[in-house]
Amino acid sequence: MKTNDVILQTASKVVFFIIILFSIHLFFTGHYHPGGGFVGGLMTSGAIVLLLLAYDIETVSKGFPIDYKILIAIGLFFAAGTAAGALLFNVPFLTHAFGYFDLPLLGKTSLHTAVLFDTGVYLTVIGVTMTIIQTIGESE
Amino acid sequence: MAFQILLNFFLAFLWMFLKVSFTSSTFIIGYLLGLILIYGMRRFFSTEFYMKRVLAVIYLILLFFKELLMANIDVLKVILKPKLDIQPGIFALPTELESDWEITLLANLITLTPGTLVVDISDDHKTLYIHAIDLPDVHEAIDGIKNSFEKAIMEVSRNA
Repeated sequence: MKTNDVILQTASKVVFFIIILFSIHLFFTGHYHPGGGFVGGLMTSGAIVLLLLAYDIETVSKGFPIDYKILIAIGLFFAAGTAAGALLFNVPFLTHAFGYFDLPLLGKTSLHTAVLFDTGVYLTVIGVTMTIIQTIGESE
Repeated sequence: MAFQILLNFFLAFLWMFLKVSFTSSTFIIGYLLGLILIYGMRRFFSTEFYMKRVLAVIYLILLFFKELLMANIDVLKVILKPKLDIQPGIFALPTELESDWEITLLANLITLTPGTLVVDISDDHKTLYIHAIDLPDVHEAIDGIKNSFEKAIMEVSRNA
């Protein structure tokens, strides 16, 4: 029996944004406060899972035409690239660099290459979680 | 469209509360983040991504300024010509636009473009009567301009 999910769909359409925004906040706050790439990525995939619950797999994969397996690869590339990039500056593998920059809008900001590594973690966590859930969901 | 703008503002405020920083730059960052998220979610909304219409409006404004400049140069040429060899005339332009503000906008844009002036609009809002300063050589070119204006207006008003 197919029930009418209009309330769930409408609510999750708005709640999705709140969860994603919170996950971005968690991602960027990781250096000074609790949070980071792992929990941010998990929460982002949690938001997509909410959409999967409200809609079906076809609608969501049409809405986000992303191959999550490629997302894992991109994430690992980010992490490995940041680690290997240190070798170009004659410092040991995985050495990170940071500096203070004056950015428009953000003001004085400290940019750290650990954020790039964290982006890799973030993307890989989303990719792995979504691949697991979609693969289980699709098999009959 | 209004829903998407409202949602974007709401997300920007939510970002300010998450950051506990109530400055305009935090608001703008939250707004931009919300914009990216809404763009990512655009296939789940019944209406189109609202920035598309904002861009259409900007395109229409730029088109208007370009035509205004061209119009005044054209009229300058007519005035400075020693021989008065123009052929004025009035012609009818069928329009597909429906709502009142679309027709008003089109009429005002036509009036401000090269050597044309809207004289009257038919009672059924389907035909515009236009006076042209030099009809024989611009008839088709002006129809082309109308099509570009009409298309630009439709680009703004569809999915209203």
